[in-house]
Amino acid sequence: MSYDDVEIEDMEWNEELKAFTYPCPCGDLFQITKDELKIGEEIARCPSCSLYITVIYNMEDFSDQKSKTNIEPAKQQPVAVA
Amino acid sequence: MEAKERVNDTEEKEEAWSWGAGTEGQLGTGKLQDEHIPQLLPILSSLSLLSCGGAHVIALTPGKMVLTWGRGTSGQLGHGNLVNSLEPKPVDLLNNYNITHVSAGWNHSGFVSESGHLYTCGDGSFGQLGLGDYRSQNCPIKVSCFAFRHVEQIACGMRHSLALLKGEHGDQVYSFGSGKRGQLGTSNEKIKSISLPRSVSGLEEVKVSSIIANGDHSAALSADGHLYTWGRGFGGTPEVCCPNRVISPFSFTQATLGWNHALILTDEGEVLMLGGSHHGVLNNPQKENLAKQDSNEAHLQKIHGLNRIKVVGIASGAEHSVLTTENGVVMTWGWGEHGQLGLGSTSDHTSPQVVRLGENVAHEHMTSKVYCGSGFTFVVRTQRGKRD
Repeated sequence: MSYDDVEIEDMEWNEELKAFTYPCPCGDLFQITKDELKIGEEIARCPSCSLYITVIYNMEDFSDQKSKTNIEPAKQQPVAVA
Repeated sequence: MEAKERVNDTEEKEEAWSWGAGTEGQLGTGKLQDEHIPQLLPILSSLSLLSCGGAHVIALTPGKMVLTWGRGTSGQLGHGNLVNSLEPKPVDLLNNYNITHVSAGWNHSGFVSESGHLYTCGDGSFGQLGLGDYRSQNCPIKVSCFAFRHVEQIACGMRHSLALLKGEHGDQVYSFGSGKRGQLGTSNEKIKSISLPRSVSGLEEVKVSSIIANGDHSAALSADGHLYTWGRGFGGTPEVCCPNRVISPFSFTQATLGWNHALILTDEGEVLMLGGSHHGVLNNPQKENLAKQDSNEAHLQKIHGLNRIKVVGIASGAEHSVLTTENGVVMTWGWGEHGQLGLGSTSDHTSPQVVRLGENVAHEHMTSKVYCGSGFTFVVRTQRGKRD
Protein backbone atom coordinates (compact mmCIF):
# COMPACT_ATOMS: atom_id res chain seq x y z
CA MET A 1 0.00 0.00 0.00
CA SER A 2 1.21 3.49 -0.90
CA TYR A 3 2.50 5.42 2.11
CA ASP A 4 1.17 8.74 0.82
CA ASP A 5 -0.02 10.61 -2.28
CA VAL A 6 2.31 13.47 -3.12
CA GLU A 7 1.89 16.11 -5.83
CA ILE A 8 4.90 16.55 -8.10
CA GLU A 9 5.08 20.24 -7.16
CA ASP A 10 5.69 19.20 -3.54
CA MET A 11 8.68 17.10 -4.57
CA GLU A 12 12.18 18.56 -4.87
CA TRP A 13 14.53 18.15 -7.80
CA ASN A 14 17.80 16.65 -6.57
CA GLU A 15 20.60 17.40 -9.02
CA GLU A 16 22.94 14.81 -7.50
CA LEU A 17 20.39 11.99 -7.68
CA LYS A 18 18.91 13.31 -10.95
CA ALA A 19 15.52 12.58 -9.47
CA PHE A 20 12.51 14.22 -7.88
CA THR A 21 12.54 13.44 -4.17
CA TYR A 22 10.29 13.55 -1.12
CA PRO A 23 11.20 12.74 2.51
CA CYS A 24 10.66 9.11 3.57
CA PRO A 25 9.83 8.45 7.24
CA CYS A 26 12.93 6.25 7.48
CA GLY A 27 15.15 9.29 6.94
CA ASP A 28 16.01 8.61 3.29
CA LEU A 29 14.21 9.98 0.21
CA PHE A 30 11.49 8.67 -2.08
CA GLN A 31 12.83 9.07 -5.62
CA ILE A 32 11.49 9.14 -9.18
CA THR A 33 13.38 10.14 -12.33
CA LYS A 34 12.15 12.27 -15.26
CA ASP A 35 12.44 9.21 -17.52
CA GLU A 36 10.14 7.27 -15.22
CA LEU A 37 7.63 10.12 -15.18
CA LYS A 38 7.81 10.29 -18.97
CA ILE A 39 6.59 6.72 -19.32
CA GLY A 40 3.79 7.21 -16.82
CA GLU A 41 5.38 5.67 -13.73
CA GLU A 42 3.64 7.02 -10.66
CA ILE A 43 5.41 5.15 -7.88
CA ALA A 44 8.41 6.82 -6.17
CA ARG A 45 10.44 4.35 -4.12
CA CYS A 46 12.81 4.72 -1.20
CA PRO A 47 16.14 2.93 -1.77
CA SER A 48 16.46 2.15 1.96
CA CYS A 49 13.10 0.59 2.80
CA SER A 50 9.94 -1.07 1.54
CA LEU A 51 7.81 2.08 1.50
CA TYR A 52 6.72 3.95 -1.63
CA ILE A 53 4.53 6.92 -2.49
CA THR A 54 2.15 7.68 -5.34
CA VAL A 55 3.18 10.74 -7.33
CA ILE A 56 0.36 12.90 -8.66
CA TYR A 57 1.32 14.63 -11.94
CA ASN A 58 0.32 15.22 -15.54
CA MET A 59 2.17 12.84 -17.81
CA GLU A 60 2.01 15.41 -20.64
CA ASP A 61 4.17 17.77 -18.59
CA PHE A 62 7.03 15.29 -18.93
CA SER A 63 6.56 14.07 -22.48
CA ASP A 64 9.32 14.98 -24.99
CA GLN A 65 7.23 17.43 -27.00
CA LYS A 66 6.66 19.58 -23.99
CA SER A 67 10.10 19.26 -22.45
CA LYS A 68 10.72 23.00 -22.79
CA THR A 69 7.68 23.90 -20.76
CA ASN A 70 8.30 21.43 -17.96
CA ILE A 71 6.97 22.56 -14.66
CA GLU A 72 9.75 23.42 -12.28
CA PRO A 73 9.15 22.29 -8.73
CA ALA A 74 10.99 23.77 -5.76
CA LYS A 75 14.69 23.48 -6.43
CA GLN A 76 17.24 22.97 -3.74
CA GLN A 77 18.94 26.33 -3.30
CA PRO A 78 22.72 26.60 -3.20
CA VAL A 79 24.16 26.58 0.28
CA ALA A 80 25.79 29.82 1.36
CA VAL A 81 29.31 29.24 2.57
CA ALA A 82 30.09 31.25 5.66
CA MET B 1 20.99 17.58 40.57
CA GLU B 2 18.67 18.02 43.49
CA ALA B 3 19.00 14.38 44.42
CA LYS B 4 22.76 14.65 44.23
CA GLU B 5 22.84 17.38 46.82
CA ARG B 6 20.39 15.67 49.10
CA VAL B 7 22.09 12.29 49.33
CA ASN B 8 25.84 12.43 49.58
CA ASP B 9 26.62 8.74 49.47
CA THR B 10 25.01 8.11 46.11
CA GLU B 11 26.30 8.69 42.65
CA GLU B 12 24.56 9.28 39.36
CA LYS B 13 25.44 7.30 36.31
CA GLU B 14 24.16 8.49 32.96
CA GLU B 15 24.10 6.38 29.82
CA ALA B 16 23.12 7.27 26.26
CA TRP B 17 21.71 4.55 23.98
CA SER B 18 20.69 4.65 20.34
CA TRP B 19 19.16 2.33 17.74
CA GLY B 20 17.28 2.28 14.42
CA ALA B 21 18.18 3.80 11.05
CA GLY B 22 21.86 4.68 11.05
CA THR B 23 23.15 4.93 7.51
CA GLU B 24 23.81 8.69 7.80
CA GLY B 25 25.72 8.40 11.07
CA GLN B 26 22.77 9.65 13.14
CA LEU B 27 23.15 6.98 15.82
CA GLY B 28 26.49 8.45 16.92
CA THR B 29 28.01 4.97 16.98
CA GLY B 30 30.78 5.83 14.53
CA LYS B 31 29.26 3.35 12.07
CA LEU B 32 27.05 3.80 9.00
CA GLN B 33 24.54 1.05 9.62
CA ASP B 34 21.13 0.34 11.13
CA GLU B 35 21.11 -1.12 14.64
CA HIS B 36 18.26 -3.39 15.72
CA ILE B 37 19.27 -3.54 19.38
CA PRO B 38 20.22 -0.62 21.66
CA GLN B 39 23.84 0.54 21.36
CA LEU B 40 25.58 2.12 24.34
CA LEU B 41 27.38 5.32 23.37
CA PRO B 42 30.42 5.82 25.57
CA ILE B 43 31.21 9.26 24.17
CA LEU B 44 27.96 10.82 25.29
CA SER B 45 28.17 10.60 29.05
CA SER B 46 26.27 13.69 30.06
CA LEU B 47 23.49 15.47 28.19
CA SER B 48 20.92 18.01 29.23
CA LEU B 49 18.83 18.08 26.05
CA LEU B 50 18.65 16.10 22.85
CA SER B 51 16.70 16.67 19.66
CA CYS B 52 16.60 14.24 16.74
CA GLY B 53 15.63 15.19 13.17
CA GLY B 54 15.31 13.44 9.82
CA ALA B 55 18.80 11.95 10.09
CA HIS B 56 20.74 14.26 12.41
CA VAL B 57 20.93 14.92 16.13
CA ILE B 58 21.55 18.04 18.23
CA ALA B 59 22.69 17.61 21.83
CA LEU B 60 23.20 20.13 24.60
CA THR B 61 25.69 19.35 27.36
CA PRO B 62 25.25 20.61 30.94
CA GLY B 63 28.09 23.03 30.16
CA LYS B 64 25.86 24.48 27.38
CA MET B 65 28.05 23.14 24.60
CA VAL B 66 26.17 22.21 21.41
CA LEU B 67 27.07 18.92 19.70
CA THR B 68 25.68 17.72 16.36
CA TRP B 69 26.11 14.59 14.25
CA GLY B 70 24.45 12.56 11.46
CA ARG B 71 23.43 13.88 8.04
CA GLY B 72 25.00 17.20 7.17
CA THR B 73 24.38 17.47 3.45
CA SER B 74 22.17 20.57 3.80
CA GLY B 75 24.39 22.25 6.38
CA GLN B 76 22.11 21.21 9.25
CA LEU B 77 25.03 20.26 11.52
CA GLY B 78 26.28 23.86 11.56
CA HIS B 79 29.88 22.77 11.14
CA GLY B 80 30.50 25.09 8.19
CA ASN B 81 30.44 22.28 5.65
CA LEU B 82 28.05 19.90 3.88
CA VAL B 83 29.35 16.58 5.13
CA ASN B 84 27.92 13.92 7.45
CA SER B 85 29.48 13.45 10.86
CA LEU B 86 29.59 9.95 12.34
CA GLU B 87 30.42 11.22 15.79
CA PRO B 88 29.26 14.11 17.97
CA LYS B 89 31.12 17.29 17.09
CA PRO B 90 30.82 20.71 18.75
CA VAL B 91 29.23 23.60 16.87
CA ASP B 92 32.05 26.03 17.56
CA LEU B 93 30.17 29.07 16.36
CA LEU B 94 27.66 28.70 19.20
CA ASN B 95 30.28 28.34 21.94
CA ASN B 96 29.80 31.75 23.49
CA TYR B 97 26.03 32.02 23.16
CA ASN B 98 24.86 29.89 26.10
CA ILE B 99 22.39 27.81 24.09
CA THR B 100 19.42 26.69 26.20
CA HIS B 101 17.01 25.13 23.66
CA VAL B 102 17.53 23.27 20.38
CA SER B 103 15.44 21.54 17.74
CA ALA B 104 16.30 19.28 14.79
CA GLY B 105 13.91 19.22 11.82
CA TRP B 106 13.98 17.05 8.71
CA ASN B 107 17.10 18.80 7.33
CA HIS B 108 17.35 21.99 9.37
CA SER B 109 18.28 23.03 12.90
CA GLY B 110 17.36 25.72 15.41
CA PHE B 111 19.23 26.94 18.50
CA VAL B 112 17.96 29.37 21.17
CA SER B 113 20.36 31.27 23.41
CA GLU B 114 19.91 32.24 27.03
CA SER B 115 19.57 35.87 25.96
CA GLY B 116 16.61 34.95 23.72
CA HIS B 117 18.18 34.92 20.29
CA LEU B 118 17.38 32.31 17.65
CA TYR B 119 19.99 30.83 15.30
CA THR B 120 19.15 28.51 12.39
CA CYS B 121 21.04 26.50 9.78
CA GLY B 122 20.50 23.73 7.23
CA ASP B 123 17.97 23.46 4.42
CA GLY B 124 16.24 26.77 3.75
CA SER B 125 14.46 25.88 0.49
CA PHE B 126 11.04 26.53 1.99
CA GLY B 127 11.96 29.53 4.14
CA GLN B 128 12.19 27.31 7.24
CA LEU B 129 15.30 29.14 8.51
CA GLY B 130 13.30 32.37 8.95
CA LEU B 131 16.08 34.46 7.44
CA GLY B 132 13.99 36.21 4.78
CA ASP B 133 15.25 34.11 1.88
CA TYR B 134 15.13 30.57 0.54
CA ARG B 135 18.83 29.82 0.86
CA SER B 136 20.44 27.08 2.91
CA GLN B 137 23.11 27.82 5.52
CA ASN B 138 25.90 25.61 6.82
CA CYS B 139 26.62 27.76 9.89
CA PRO B 140 24.07 28.97 12.45
CA ILE B 141 22.78 32.43 11.47
CA LYS B 142 20.93 34.75 13.83
CA VAL B 143 17.26 35.27 12.91
CA SER B 144 17.44 39.05 12.81
CA CYS B 145 13.67 39.46 12.80
CA PHE B 146 13.71 38.41 16.49
CA ALA B 147 16.79 40.51 17.37
CA PHE B 148 14.86 42.65 19.86
CA ARG B 149 12.52 39.93 21.09
CA HIS B 150 12.98 37.08 23.53
CA VAL B 151 12.77 33.65 21.90
CA GLU B 152 12.34 30.83 24.39
CA GLN B 153 11.79 27.70 22.29
CA ILE B 154 12.22 26.50 18.71
CA ALA B 155 10.48 23.54 17.04
CA CYS B 156 11.55 22.36 13.58
CA GLY B 157 9.31 20.20 11.39
CA MET B 158 9.83 18.75 7.93
CA ARG B 159 9.72 22.03 6.01
CA HIS B 160 8.59 24.54 8.62
CA SER B 161 9.53 25.94 12.03
CA LEU B 162 7.74 27.32 15.08
CA ALA B 163 9.21 29.75 17.60
CA LEU B 164 7.83 30.55 21.07
CA LEU B 165 8.44 34.11 22.23
CA LYS B 166 7.98 35.40 25.75
CA GLY B 167 7.51 39.06 26.54
CA GLU B 168 5.57 41.77 28.33
CA HIS B 169 2.67 41.23 25.98
CA GLY B 170 2.40 37.55 26.84
CA ASP B 171 3.43 34.52 24.85
CA GLN B 172 3.48 34.52 21.10
CA VAL B 173 4.00 31.64 18.69
CA TYR B 174 5.56 32.46 15.32
CA SER B 175 5.93 30.22 12.28
CA PHE B 176 7.86 30.22 9.01
CA GLY B 177 8.64 27.88 6.12
CA SER B 178 6.20 25.76 4.11
CA GLY B 179 2.51 26.25 4.74
CA LYS B 180 1.11 23.92 2.10
CA ARG B 181 -0.71 21.80 4.70
CA GLY B 182 -1.77 24.67 6.93
CA GLN B 183 1.13 24.03 9.35
CA LEU B 184 1.97 27.74 9.67
CA GLY B 185 -1.38 28.52 11.30
CA THR B 186 -1.09 32.19 10.42
CA SER B 187 -4.38 32.66 8.58
CA ASN B 188 -7.50 30.86 7.48
CA GLU B 189 -6.01 30.30 4.07
CA LYS B 190 -3.13 28.05 3.20
CA ILE B 191 0.08 29.88 2.42
CA LYS B 192 2.62 28.25 0.10
CA SER B 193 5.58 29.39 2.12
CA ILE B 194 7.00 32.35 4.07
CA SER B 195 10.64 33.05 4.83
CA LEU B 196 10.07 35.63 7.57
CA PRO B 197 8.39 34.68 10.85
CA ARG B 198 4.70 35.49 11.13
CA SER B 199 2.50 35.26 14.21
CA VAL B 200 0.26 32.18 14.58
CA SER B 201 -3.35 33.26 14.95
CA GLY B 202 -5.73 32.11 17.63
CA LEU B 203 -3.23 31.56 20.44
CA GLU B 204 -3.16 35.17 21.65
CA GLU B 205 -5.01 34.43 24.87
CA VAL B 206 -3.22 31.15 25.55
CA LYS B 207 -0.28 30.75 27.92
CA VAL B 208 1.87 28.41 25.86
CA SER B 209 4.27 26.13 27.73
CA SER B 210 5.71 24.26 24.76
CA ILE B 211 5.62 24.09 20.97
CA ILE B 212 5.95 20.95 18.85
CA ALA B 213 6.56 20.41 15.12
CA ASN B 214 7.18 17.30 13.01
CA GLY B 215 6.29 16.32 9.46
CA ASP B 216 3.61 18.80 8.34
CA HIS B 217 2.09 18.98 11.83
CA SER B 218 2.27 21.79 14.38
CA ALA B 219 1.12 21.88 17.99
CA ALA B 220 1.20 24.01 21.13
CA LEU B 221 0.65 22.83 24.69
CA SER B 222 -0.80 25.36 27.12
CA ALA B 223 0.21 25.80 30.74
CA ASP B 224 -3.29 24.73 31.78
CA GLY B 225 -3.01 21.40 29.98
CA HIS B 226 -4.75 21.99 26.66
CA LEU B 227 -3.34 20.88 23.32
CA TYR B 228 -3.80 22.86 20.11
CA THR B 229 -2.90 21.32 16.74
CA TRP B 230 -2.79 22.65 13.18
CA GLY B 231 -1.47 21.57 9.79
CA ARG B 232 -1.92 18.16 8.24
CA GLY B 233 -4.86 16.21 9.65
CA PHE B 234 -4.59 13.03 11.69
CA GLY B 235 -5.95 9.69 10.49
CA GLY B 236 -7.48 11.04 7.28
CA THR B 237 -9.03 14.15 8.79
CA PRO B 238 -8.84 17.41 6.82
CA GLU B 239 -6.00 19.90 7.13
CA VAL B 240 -6.45 22.68 9.68
CA CYS B 241 -5.04 26.16 8.99
CA CYS B 242 -5.45 27.58 12.51
CA PRO B 243 -4.76 26.15 15.98
CA ASN B 244 -7.56 23.79 16.93
CA ARG B 245 -8.04 22.70 20.55
CA VAL B 246 -8.13 18.94 21.10
CA ILE B 247 -11.34 18.27 23.00
CA SER B 248 -10.72 15.99 25.96
CA PRO B 249 -11.65 15.73 29.63
CA PHE B 250 -7.97 15.14 30.47
CA SER B 251 -5.25 17.61 31.28
CA PHE B 252 -2.10 17.16 29.19
CA THR B 253 1.48 17.52 30.36
CA GLN B 254 3.40 16.49 27.24
CA ALA B 255 2.74 16.04 23.52
CA THR B 256 4.87 14.78 20.65
CA LEU B 257 4.19 14.57 16.90
CA GLY B 258 5.01 12.01 14.23
CA TRP B 259 4.22 12.33 10.53
CA ASN B 260 0.74 10.80 10.91
CA HIS B 261 0.11 10.66 14.64
CA ALA B 262 0.40 12.56 17.89
CA LEU B 263 1.16 11.13 21.32
CA ILE B 264 -0.23 12.91 24.36
CA LEU B 265 0.59 12.32 28.02
CA THR B 266 -2.07 13.12 30.62
CA ASP B 267 -1.37 14.40 34.12
CA GLU B 268 -2.33 10.95 35.37
CA GLY B 269 0.47 9.30 33.44
CA GLU B 270 -1.73 7.88 30.72
CA VAL B 271 -0.76 7.96 27.02
CA LEU B 272 -3.27 8.84 24.31
CA MET B 273 -2.80 8.78 20.55
CA LEU B 274 -4.34 11.00 17.89
CA GLY B 275 -4.50 9.51 14.38
CA GLY B 276 -1.99 6.77 13.80
CA SER B 277 -4.15 4.42 11.73
CA HIS B 278 -0.91 3.17 10.11
CA HIS B 279 0.77 2.84 13.46
CA GLY B 280 2.44 -0.52 13.81
CA VAL B 281 0.99 -1.86 10.56
CA LEU B 282 3.03 -0.03 7.95
CA ASN B 283 4.62 -3.26 6.74
CA ASN B 284 1.44 -5.27 6.81
CA PRO B 285 -1.16 -4.18 4.25
CA GLN B 286 -3.69 -6.75 5.45
CA LYS B 287 -3.65 -5.45 8.97
CA GLU B 288 -3.74 -1.92 7.63
CA ASN B 289 -7.18 -2.45 6.16
CA LEU B 290 -8.42 -3.63 9.53
CA ALA B 291 -6.98 -0.58 11.22
CA LYS B 292 -8.47 1.96 8.84
CA GLN B 293 -10.64 4.56 10.47
CA ASP B 294 -14.01 5.26 8.92
CA SER B 295 -14.69 8.37 10.91
CA ASN B 296 -13.96 11.78 9.42
CA GLU B 297 -12.77 13.07 12.76
CA ALA B 298 -9.58 11.94 14.45
CA HIS B 299 -10.27 10.85 17.97
CA LEU B 300 -8.06 10.25 20.96
CA GLN B 301 -7.33 6.62 21.55
CA LYS B 302 -5.91 4.96 24.60
CA ILE B 303 -2.81 2.85 24.08
CA HIS B 304 -3.62 -0.79 24.70
CA GLY B 305 -1.43 -3.11 26.71
CA LEU B 306 -0.10 -0.65 29.26
CA ASN B 307 -2.21 -1.94 32.18
CA ARG B 308 -2.16 1.28 34.16
CA ILE B 309 1.61 1.58 34.09
CA LYS B 310 2.49 5.16 34.97
CA VAL B 311 4.15 6.83 31.99
CA VAL B 312 6.43 9.82 32.57
CA GLY B 313 7.88 10.52 29.12
CA ILE B 314 6.95 10.10 25.44
CA ALA B 315 8.59 10.56 22.03
CA SER B 316 7.40 10.14 18.43
CA GLY B 317 9.41 9.19 15.39
CA ALA B 318 7.88 9.64 11.94
CA GLU B 319 6.08 6.29 12.28
CA HIS B 320 7.11 4.87 15.66
CA SER B 321 6.53 5.73 19.29
CA VAL B 322 8.53 5.49 22.51
CA LEU B 323 7.53 5.89 26.15
CA THR B 324 9.24 5.63 29.50
CA THR B 325 7.74 4.69 32.86
CA GLU B 326 8.41 6.02 36.35
CA ASN B 327 10.91 3.17 36.87
CA GLY B 328 12.89 4.08 33.79
CA VAL B 329 11.50 1.24 31.66
CA VAL B 330 11.53 2.07 27.94
CA MET B 331 8.78 0.75 25.63
CA THR B 332 8.40 1.10 21.85
CA TRP B 333 5.80 0.38 19.19
CA GLY B 334 4.91 1.31 15.60
CA TRP B 335 6.99 0.86 12.42
CA GLY B 336 10.08 -1.29 12.94
CA GLU B 337 11.65 -1.83 9.53
CA HIS B 338 14.95 -0.15 10.46
CA GLY B 339 15.14 -1.58 13.95
CA GLN B 340 13.86 1.70 15.41
CA LEU B 341 11.89 -0.24 18.03
CA GLY B 342 15.15 -1.70 19.41
CA LEU B 343 13.61 -5.14 19.87
CA GLY B 344 16.21 -7.03 17.85
CA SER B 345 14.03 -7.38 14.77
CA THR B 346 12.49 -5.34 11.96
CA SER B 347 8.89 -6.22 12.84
CA ASP B 348 6.14 -3.69 13.41
CA HIS B 349 4.24 -3.67 16.72
CA THR B 350 0.79 -2.29 17.45
CA SER B 351 1.25 -2.16 21.24
CA PRO B 352 4.17 -1.04 23.48
CA GLN B 353 6.99 -3.58 23.94
CA VAL B 354 9.73 -3.41 26.59
CA VAL B 355 13.21 -2.61 25.24
CA ARG B 356 16.20 -4.28 26.89
CA LEU B 357 18.94 -1.77 27.60
CA GLY B 358 21.98 -3.88 28.47
CA GLU B 359 21.89 -6.15 31.49
CA ASN B 360 20.39 -3.71 33.95
CA VAL B 361 16.82 -4.16 34.97
CA ALA B 362 14.56 -1.26 35.83
CA HIS B 363 14.31 -0.08 39.41
CA GLU B 364 13.02 2.84 41.39
CA HIS B 365 16.32 4.72 41.21
CA MET B 366 16.31 4.81 37.46
CA THR B 367 14.89 7.41 35.10
CA SER B 368 15.01 7.52 31.32
CA LYS B 369 14.53 10.32 28.83
CA VAL B 370 13.37 9.28 25.38
CA TYR B 371 13.90 10.97 22.00
CA CYS B 372 13.02 10.02 18.42
CA GLY B 373 14.30 11.02 15.01
CA SER B 374 12.40 10.05 11.86
CA GLY B 375 13.56 6.42 11.89
CA PHE B 376 15.74 6.15 14.99
CA THR B 377 15.61 6.37 18.77
CA PHE B 378 17.78 7.76 21.59
CA VAL B 379 17.48 7.11 25.31
CA VAL B 380 19.40 8.83 28.09
CA ARG B 381 19.14 6.77 31.27
CA THR B 382 20.17 7.95 34.71
CA GLN B 383 20.81 5.53 37.57
CA ARG B 384 21.27 6.62 41.12
CA GLY B 385 23.05 4.02 43.18
CA LYS B 386 25.01 3.74 46.40
CA ARG B 387 28.76 4.11 46.12
CA ASP B 388 30.76 0.92 46.60
